[in-house]
Formats: sequence, C-alpha cells, structure tokens
Amino acid sequence: MTSSTLTLRGVTRRFKDTVALDSIDLDVSQGELVALLGPSGCGKTTALRIIAGLDRPDSGFVSVGGKDVSRMSASKRNMGMVFQSYSLFPNMTAAENVGFGLEMRFVKRRTRNMRAAELLEMVGLPDHAKRFPHQLSGGQQQRVALARALAFEPDVLLLDEPLSALDAQVRANLRDEIRRLQLETHTTTIFVTHDQEEAMAISDRVAVMNQGKIAQIAPPAEIYNSPSDEFVAGFVGQMNRIPAEVVGDKLRVLETLVDRRMHAPATGAVIALVRPENLVVERADRTSNPLNAVVEASVFLGPLTKLTLRVGDNLRLTAVMPGGAAVGLHAGASARVYVQNGTYLAVEK
Amino acid sequence: MAKVKFPRRSQLVLGLTLVVASTYVVLPLASATEFSLRQPAKKNYGLDNFSWFMGDPDFVKYLLISLGLAAYSALILLVVLVPTTVWLNLSGSRFRRMVEFLSLLPLVVPVVALAIGAQTSLPEFAQTDETVLAYMFAVLALPYAYRTLDTGLRSIPLGTLIEAARSLGAGWVRAILRAVIPAIRGTVLNALFMTLALSLGEFTLTSLLHWDTFTTWVTTMSQSNILGAIALSMFSLYAVFALLLAIGFAVRQPKFHENSEEE
Repeated sequence: MTSSTLTLRGVTRRFKDTVALDSIDLDVSQGELVALLGPSGCGKTTALRIIAGLDRPDSGFVSVGGKDVSRMSASKRNMGMVFQSYSLFPNMTAAENVGFGLEMRFVKRRTRNMRAAELLEMVGLPDHAKRFPHQLSGGQQQRVALARALAFEPDVLLLDEPLSALDAQVRANLRDEIRRLQLETHTTTIFVTHDQEEAMAISDRVAVMNQGKIAQIAPPAEIYNSPSDEFVAGFVGQMNRIPAEVVGDKLRVLETLVDRRMHAPATGAVIALVRPENLVVERADRTSNPLNAVVEASVFLGPLTKLTLRVGDNLRLTAVMPGGAAVGLHAGASARVYVQNGTYLAVEK
Repeated sequence: MAKVKFPRRSQLVLGLTLVVASTYVVLPLASATEFSLRQPAKKNYGLDNFSWFMGDPDFVKYLLISLGLAAYSALILLVVLVPTTVWLNLSGSRFRRMVEFLSLLPLVVPVVALAIGAQTSLPEFAQTDETVLAYMFAVLALPYAYRTLDTGLRSIPLGTLIEAARSLGAGWVRAILRAVIPAIRGTVLNALFMTLALSLGEFTLTSLLHWDTFTTWVTTMSQSNILGAIALSMFSLYAVFALLLAIGFAVRQPKFHENSEEE
C-alpha cells in the first residue's frame, strides 16, 4: 500500500437534533476499495456525500492526496460518482453521457467520443453508444453511469448503492464487473452499501458503520472472524447468541472451554457469540458424550446443510456443516452440539 | 394488440363529441376566414383585405415591436423562473408556498391596478420606451409559466441529475443549462409558448400604459375598415399559431422510460 489518497479527519455532520456523522476518521490508500457498510441511517451515505462535496461537514476535513478539499465545490473535486437511482441525462445518448465529464473539462469532441467508445467497451456495451437511457435496461444504465464516472480518470470513485435498484442476477454480475474495472483502473473507491454480502465480496476493507461512527474497519475476513463488537458481529453474517460463563481467562460455552474476547464484565454469566459454522454437531451414534440437542429442521443447500437445533427448553441454534457430515441429522434426531476451539466474543447478558 | 379497444357505442359517442367540439372551435374561425377573404367591390374572394394592412408602413414596425417584446418577456421569465423553481424544488424551502401564492396574484389583481402600480412605482428610466411592457408581460405570464415549469421539474429526478452533473465537473449554471433544461425542454417550451402567446396578444395593459404595439395598432386600424380588421385579426391568429408550431417542431421532447429493454 502506498500513501493514503483519501483521508477523513474528525468529520462530523448534524441534521437538526441527530448526529449523522460523529467524528469519522478514515484513510483509504491509492487503488483501494473500501465499502461503507451499515443499516439505513448509519451515516454511510452522508459520509459519501461529504467526500463528494455534495454536502458539507459541520467540522473536520476531507483531503485527497494530502490536499484539503473540504471547501472545494463538488464540480472541482475530480471524483466520479454512481448513484443509487438512475442518473443518466435523459436527453443524451450513452456516449454523450460518458463524455459529459470530459465536455465539462473542455476536451475536444473527437477525443471525447474516442474515450466514450473505449469506456463503453470496458463496461461491455460497445454497441450501445447511440442509445438513449430510456432504451437501456436498469443494469445497462448503471454500466453507462459507471463508464461516465470513470471516463475522466477521477481521483476517487464514489459508488452510492449502485446495485440496489437491480434484480439479483444483474446485481451479482455488475458487482463483479465493478471490482474488475476498479482493479483494472486502479481507482481509489468508496462503495456504500447496506448489503453485507456485496461489501464482503468486492472490498479490500469493509468499514462497518453504526449510528454515525465506524464500528470496525478491516478486511472482510477479519470483520467476519473477529468482529470488534456485538453490532458488527450481528450485522455481518449470522450469529448464535449462547449463554456462557466466564472461567478465569476462558469461556465455558455448551460445556466447552474456549478462549474469549470480552465486551462485558470479566466474571459471571455472559453471552457468547458463535458463528453457525463454529458449532460442531455429532450424531447420537457417533459420540460417547451425553446428547444435549434435538434437530428441529435440516435444510439441504447443496454443498452445505443448515441445521436448526434446540438445546434445553428455550435455546435455539443454527449450525452449518458440509452436506456429507449432516447425514442422519434429520428433523427429530437427537445430537450432541459443542463449540469448536477458537476465540469467541463474549458480551453482557 | 395492447391497445384499449372501446366498444362501438362509446366510439360513436367519442366521435360525436369530437365533431361537436371541433365545430365549436372551427366554425367561427372558418366563418371569420371566409369573411376576411370577401372583396365586396369585385364581388369575389381574394387577398385585398390582407394587402390593405400589409401595405401600411406601420405594419412591419409594430409587428417587430410585438415580436421583440414577446421574445424579451419570455427571456426574462425563463432567466428568472428556471433557477428559482430549481432552487425551490431542491431545497424544499418553506418559501415554496409563498412563491406559489405570489405566482397566482397576476390572475387576481386587475390589469388596471397593475398598470397604475407600474406607472407609479417603476423608476422613470424603466418607462422611457415600450420595453417596460416586457417586464409587465412576464408578470402576467407568471401564473402559467411557473406552474408549467414546476410540474416539469417534479417529473424528473432533479436532485440526482444536478448532483450527477456537478460531480462530473459542471458548476451550477452549466448543470442547469446542460442537464436540467434539456431534460424538461418540452415543459420549458410550453412555458415559452404561453409567454409568447400572451405577450403577442396583450392589449389592455399596453393601451392603459399608452404604448403602441401590434395589438393596439390592429385596434386603431380596424376602426376604418371592418373587413380589413377581420383580415388583420385572422393574420395575427394564424401567424402566432404558425410561430408556435415552428418552435414546437424545432425542439422535440425527449422520452422518459425505465427498463424498456431487459438485460
């Protein structure tokens, strides 16, 4: 990683009584793709709009390549943006839309057209240059919008939930396409989304946001495997909440002793957060340990099988295991469930 | 295939309505046209009545004055109104209701009051020639033009279009000129039409302020020659109609559809 190209320091934004952004710090390296992930109202779009210059922070600053751009208008910032809703200019063809940024930079028509053709080729729409937005599908429109945002070689590419208006198949394709283009052009990119799968799939790092703050910023695997707090753990992926007990520097969960990370008092009863794949389920005839669970449902998902288990009277757990290992664990079967070795997050009960 | 097919009976009713309605409009027009073409001295039809006023040296002079005033008032209205309505739509300002109300005032305030108001309140340098009329015409056209533009702006994703343009390097002015106005050119055109038509036909205010334009000239002329007067009226009617039609053909409305083609 080279020097940071995009930096936010203490960026705060208030709307009347609510704090939309609460002193955000963020460093994004040249060519890096960082996803801002969070539920609606967490401040991710506000952060993006402040980076773009479409909104102003109440305090703090934004800099690009070491230069403070906080007071610079959006039109001067050299940032490409793709919006959630369709934002192509309806009176212009795809090629004219793509060339718009260059036109605003007083680039000659010939050069503009060549560059537009090049970009449309890159996004897989070489034959659509003369089409108007209303002649393009939703996915195609977003491709053109992406080409338009990249045409003038922006310092930063900003994507504001660009896929959320599209249907599932198109969304997955375009998601991978965005990542490919981003790597190809080595453009520093901020990608705002509320879809954790999307964020995990294409980002170098994910910043999980909650109530105007960045709860955790880390590579996807780290976010998933060692969430910093309960919110991140719950928002990214599925999580079982299992009553547990603190035993010295260990944690007793389902009668297994595991390592712990704490966000709770260091003694007594706590809740352990355990991913479905970290639960081990054994068939009654394959274990010598006492049985502690009943399979309530077993859903075959191809490579994986998802089990719903009941432990005791009111604890319901979700476990995921390879299809083969789940043989015999049909609904109604008794089983033994325990927690894999590892380090788990424990939170206050 | 997808067209709605009306049952035969309602088609008949539709047709009948159309005939009655068009008779209502077309018949007086046709009669007036027929009348204007009469040449009683020669007992036939011809263009004598038209050549009578076209030969008048003041004809071109006043026609140009009126066209100039119409163009000027349309320009004033667009320059003032487009940025204002854009701002009102973007900001969600509480001034919006006030502006909506103000824009209706010209319909309510009697033209006489407007004329006297203009005479007493406008600075003298603004009243030295008939240009003052252009400002007044713009005020008179305000109720129609404002509403038309406002409806147009509500029909497009205004905020996103402007933000897209700005993020691509356009300042506010270029964002409005290149991204907003072309997206609602049909609407802008309609506002333009109303202002032009209103300005070209305005009589009361012009006469009250003692200026001469094409309409007042027509009135003066018509006092001496009734057939000529009808011909003159027919001319102004058709000329304005042709003008608006020409502008309408020159600028065509873009279409808006989403997802017309699946990927």
